Amino acid sequence: MDFIVNHFLSLVLFIPSLAALIMLFLPKGEAKLLRWFALGASLVPFLLSVSLWFQFKSFVPGFQFQERYEWYEAIGSSLHLGVDGLSLTMVLLTTLLTPLAILASFNITEKVKAYMMLFLFLETGMLGVFMSLDLLVFFVFWEVGLVPMYFLINQWGSANRNYASMKFMIYTMGGSLGLLLAIQMLGVLFGTYDLLALTQRWTALDPDSTLLGMSVSTVKAIAFWAFTIAFAVKVPVWPFHTWLPDAHTEAPTAGSMILAGVLLKLGAYGFLRLILPLYPAEAKMFAAALAVLATAAIVFGAFASFAQTDFKRLVAYSSVNHMGFVVLGIAAAGLASGTPDATIALNGAILQMFNHGLSAAGMFFLVGVIYERTHTRNLEEFGGLFPLAPVYGGILIFTSMASLGLPGLNGFISEFLVVRGTWPILTTFTAISMVGLLFTGAYILKGIKKVLHGPLNEHWAHGEHKVTEINAREILVMAPLMVLILWIGIYPAWILDVINKAVVMLF
Amino acid sequence: MVPLSWYLIFSAALFSIGLFGVLSRRNAVAILLGIELMLNSVNVNLAAFWRYGNVTDIAGQVFAIIVFAVAAAEVSVGLALVISIYRKRNTVIADDIDMLKF
Amino acid sequence: MTTETLIWLIPLPPILAFFLIVLFTNRNKALSHSIGVGAALLSWIGSMVVFVRAIGVENLGKTPFVSSINWLPTGDTWLRIGVLVDPLTAVTLFFVAWTVLMIFIYSVGYHNFGQPEGDHDHKGLPPHGATVEEHGHKHVVPSIEPMYSRFFAFIGLFAFGMFTLVVSDNLLTLFVGWEIMGLCSYLLIGFWYGKKSARDAAIKAFMTTRVGDVFMLLGIAYLYSVTGTLSFREIFSETTLHTLAAIPSGVLGFSTAGLIGLLLFIGTVGKSAQFPLHVWLPDAMEGPTPVSAMIHAATMVSAGVYAVIRMFPLLSLDAQTMSIVAFIGAFTALFAATIALAQNDIKRVLAYSTISQLGYMIAALGIGAYVAAAFHLMTHAFFKALLFLGSGSVIHGMEHGVLHTGNHKVDPQDMFNMGGLRNKMPITFWTFLLGGFALSGFPLITAGFWSKDEILADAFAHNLPVFITLAIAAFLTAFYTMRQITLTFLGEPRTEEAKHAQETPWTMTLPLIVLSVFAVGYGWLGIPEHFPVLGGLVPNWIHEFVGGTLAEHPEALDFNIVPLLTSLVVALGGLGLGYLFYRNVNSSTEDKLQIGFLKNKYYFDEIYDVVFIKPVTWFADKVVYQIMDKGFIDGILHLFGPGTQGIGDTIRNYFDLPVINRFLGDGSANATYWSGEKLRVVQTGRIQQYLMLGLILFLAIGAILYFFVLA
Repeated sequence: MDFIVNHFLSLVLFIPSLAALIMLFLPKGEAKLLRWFALGASLVPFLLSVSLWFQFKSFVPGFQFQERYEWYEAIGSSLHLGVDGLSLTMVLLTTLLTPLAILASFNITEKVKAYMMLFLFLETGMLGVFMSLDLLVFFVFWEVGLVPMYFLINQWGSANRNYASMKFMIYTMGGSLGLLLAIQMLGVLFGTYDLLALTQRWTALDPDSTLLGMSVSTVKAIAFWAFTIAFAVKVPVWPFHTWLPDAHTEAPTAGSMILAGVLLKLGAYGFLRLILPLYPAEAKMFAAALAVLATAAIVFGAFASFAQTDFKRLVAYSSVNHMGFVVLGIAAAGLASGTPDATIALNGAILQMFNHGLSAAGMFFLVGVIYERTHTRNLEEFGGLFPLAPVYGGILIFTSMASLGLPGLNGFISEFLVVRGTWPILTTFTAISMVGLLFTGAYILKGIKKVLHGPLNEHWAHGEHKVTEINAREILVMAPLMVLILWIGIYPAWILDVINKAVVMLF
Repeated sequence: MVPLSWYLIFSAALFSIGLFGVLSRRNAVAILLGIELMLNSVNVNLAAFWRYGNVTDIAGQVFAIIVFAVAAAEVSVGLALVISIYRKRNTVIADDIDMLKF
Repeated sequence: MTTETLIWLIPLPPILAFFLIVLFTNRNKALSHSIGVGAALLSWIGSMVVFVRAIGVENLGKTPFVSSINWLPTGDTWLRIGVLVDPLTAVTLFFVAWTVLMIFIYSVGYHNFGQPEGDHDHKGLPPHGATVEEHGHKHVVPSIEPMYSRFFAFIGLFAFGMFTLVVSDNLLTLFVGWEIMGLCSYLLIGFWYGKKSARDAAIKAFMTTRVGDVFMLLGIAYLYSVTGTLSFREIFSETTLHTLAAIPSGVLGFSTAGLIGLLLFIGTVGKSAQFPLHVWLPDAMEGPTPVSAMIHAATMVSAGVYAVIRMFPLLSLDAQTMSIVAFIGAFTALFAATIALAQNDIKRVLAYSTISQLGYMIAALGIGAYVAAAFHLMTHAFFKALLFLGSGSVIHGMEHGVLHTGNHKVDPQDMFNMGGLRNKMPITFWTFLLGGFALSGFPLITAGFWSKDEILADAFAHNLPVFITLAIAAFLTAFYTMRQITLTFLGEPRTEEAKHAQETPWTMTLPLIVLSVFAVGYGWLGIPEHFPVLGGLVPNWIHEFVGGTLAEHPEALDFNIVPLLTSLVVALGGLGLGYLFYRNVNSSTEDKLQIGFLKNKYYFDEIYDVVFIKPVTWFADKVVYQIMDKGFIDGILHLFGPGTQGIGDTIRNYFDLPVINRFLGDGSANATYWSGEKLRVVQTGRIQQYLMLGLILFLAIGAILYFFVLA
């Protein structure tokens, strides 16, 4: 028992990988066993992180459940884990979405073993980013998350998967190249990679010391930009976003769920964890530029989404649109750090991260459900499916409305908070971003209209192409998402309170 | 008493004769004989240095005995090889045994 | 139960009904409508109890029922949400509860409960009738709506949105209810989603109102960031209002209060279908008739006006905003009334009349007539719900005729296909007549007269141009109402179908009767004190009670004969002329008002299509997606591919291949090979030669060491 209590985070972090290793020894042909094993293995971290959520004391400042193991002593790097309100929210999201994604992939029939193992490794990679308090370890996990995703897209994706997986890989690698460099520079300059120690030494450093002939301020500036670009690619901030529609569209359904649900949050998390606390001055200086890009993402993301004829691509572009609000909130917080408005904007941004995780994962899953039945994603080929699959239709409308930001569902709360927080700080940008909010409605309604409404396309009504109702397993995937969507929409305080306290103490 | 240098000159001469034999004789058995001469010249040296050095230290004598043993072993192996080659190629002339070349 | 708890509970039954029906009972039609109507009844009971308790409270405006809870943590503070019942809420709750309940009951009949399932009915399309065999011969009867249960779920959600909005004590939950209604109107207008017109209308309604909503959201965010609160009572405190009025916003000379008010007002423009965002409402007629009544009378459009009335203390701080409000309202009132003149669809006439009447209320607010606006909102809700339900009843009767003759080309909604229905559908006729008279402002007996008269009196006292505009609009209103009544009910049946129209079942006529009582009687609660003869007979309860909502009780106007005469003349004149003009008109070709310009609603749909929708679609697809993302950004990205390849090729061709491969790699191998070739002669295989060589080398090295190194 003591062991569990003392190693809570490591357990959450490494159980998926451990399970993946055990899976190596399971028979290859037993698809059913492999699926259930993977599901079970991913449920354990979820249960642990739920218990983490209840043990977490939101009023205590700093990181909790800290663990520290020597890892690379010679250069001052250690496996240092810990969570605060910000990362705990993300950990919960990750551990929630992974079992759902695995459950969603029960229809995968080829190379089940490899698929499930990759998913479990992916979970460790993502959790590691949220939990690690050491820059080098942070980077390691950052990259660990990348590799399984590459293979998931490349091996189980749809037609254009080679292009998409390559683009995804190269793009993110391009971003993380600078990240590694910047982390190394900071590590050498400060003699430690530990985030807590680094933060303490950050301002205390002798301003005259140099690294390779560069002054401290130059090093910091280079690191700032390297961080910013790496995270901006991951979020993605306009104009670094074009990998996203390709990767999301080509990835297998569960892959898209995780991509949109968690991987995009890594970038935003990087902004919140590293850039805002470490570079308040630079963040303030470049907040306006970031706001321009965020507004562009919101507006152009909505427009581009509206222009799509591919259902999955439409949903993919909606992520650009929604993550724009996260970045807008971050930009506002950077500009007016410490003010009550900034706190509200950050509350909104972080909640938006969580909410988008729920609704985007749900949307991608629903696209996957209909794709599995029709083998097309072309909106023009659907039509009038509502009478054929009323339950599916209801769920799709519900999730779409969450994505649209309908009050009473979760998206509204976070978008309202972002708008409220940014309005006094970045008035013009907030006003312009409303165009994007308007067109969120347009593309969502376009999706519903083309898929559910309209005259019934007889092709889907009879014979082998008959579209069947969503099945129990698929409803089971959606149910937790829908419950959370509604719950946060009606009573957001349970999660927002944790976020709010973390934001107040952090910034 | 005979000075040490006489023994050394004798031993050097013996060694040179042995070396000449090794290099110049064509018969493989004769080459082995030459090698025996060279080894024994060393033994002379070892015995001479023992006698003129620290007599209580018997290392020189021990070495000489080891050399005897090695020489005996070496000749027996060498002769076995010669016989084996003779059986195969019907010759003991060293120049004719030149399979190990490019 | 305390009143506060009860207020919290009022919106809950409909939402519970929604979930129950959606999740469990949707297969059972009877159970579903029982749950739906039962929920509406519960909310009605709650509302009535609250209403009765509210009017019992002395000075409710100062000491309203309030209750709130923490909702959103924002830094060190919380955003609180809660419920509030002050006089304005109480009266709104009263009419909302009544109309909602009536509409729920009416829906049972309208969707043909108890009738057999249709022969060829599909989900997503209106029912087409069923063939039954009776006494040996077949005939066609109306068939039950295929998505009957779903309808009750949707209107339940709708009712939840409205009740939430009404009892909210803050702008945020008001907005929540507001948007939920927006969703429901989308779902309900697109209820028969198999029809293209319904689909398009649903999207049009959602998007047009969303334009307003987005501005409203900004207004809320703005207000919240300036005042730090969204609670009405806190915003309307004297100090807050004072600050809001004092700080300039920096935009076009508005004060902060003015700009916030304007942003919020744009939300209302969308929701209450005011010019220029009015286009969605007539198209919303694609929904089933109870929906039209819900949207156009009881809930959504009223909600827009309710929100402006609610925000009146804020709006009235800035004269500039007030004049914009007055202008938009007055203009819409007249503009929509002119379009209504040339419509032939019975529901569309009512739709435009709704826009026009809402314009009335907005204009009244714009000139500061708070109580008059609220009064007209209430009376209008009753008589317009009555009219819509009545028109639904007419359509239903006509559909009966259509089924009887089997001629489906006859449009049961076109008034020129009707005529003489007063004999066939007497209850519908008399109630519709009362509703129509109330809408026209038929003097003394109808509610519409009293509320309209009060607006005109206020306008006369404060703003003459608005008065003239509204007077003309009132005349047109009376005229087209009489046109409608004449064409529909009077004269002789013009088609075979009209001859076979039939009175509708009690579930539909009962709501008509109940509503017609209010359409007449509700006005007597607001007879001005100084009115000749009748004044003071019944106390002007509306003015006393609703006026109490404001911090300063508005003063009652002195009586003036001019507006009274005006309203008498326009109402009676309009009704009389309408009858005279149309009593002998038998087809649309004989109608002199079928002017293309009016008939096509001043071509607004076409203009918007060309100016907004087409360019935006083009922009989204061509500019943003094709050119910007696909062309420009991906174009640059795709340059990286060939670029990197080019660099790679160069390095390979000019460095790797010649230098590393040829010189270093192949070169060292070649050198080794060459030297081996040359040296191979040394290796003879003759042991003695090797030894000789060894000896020579030994001697040579020894000599070198001896002579050069050691020396």
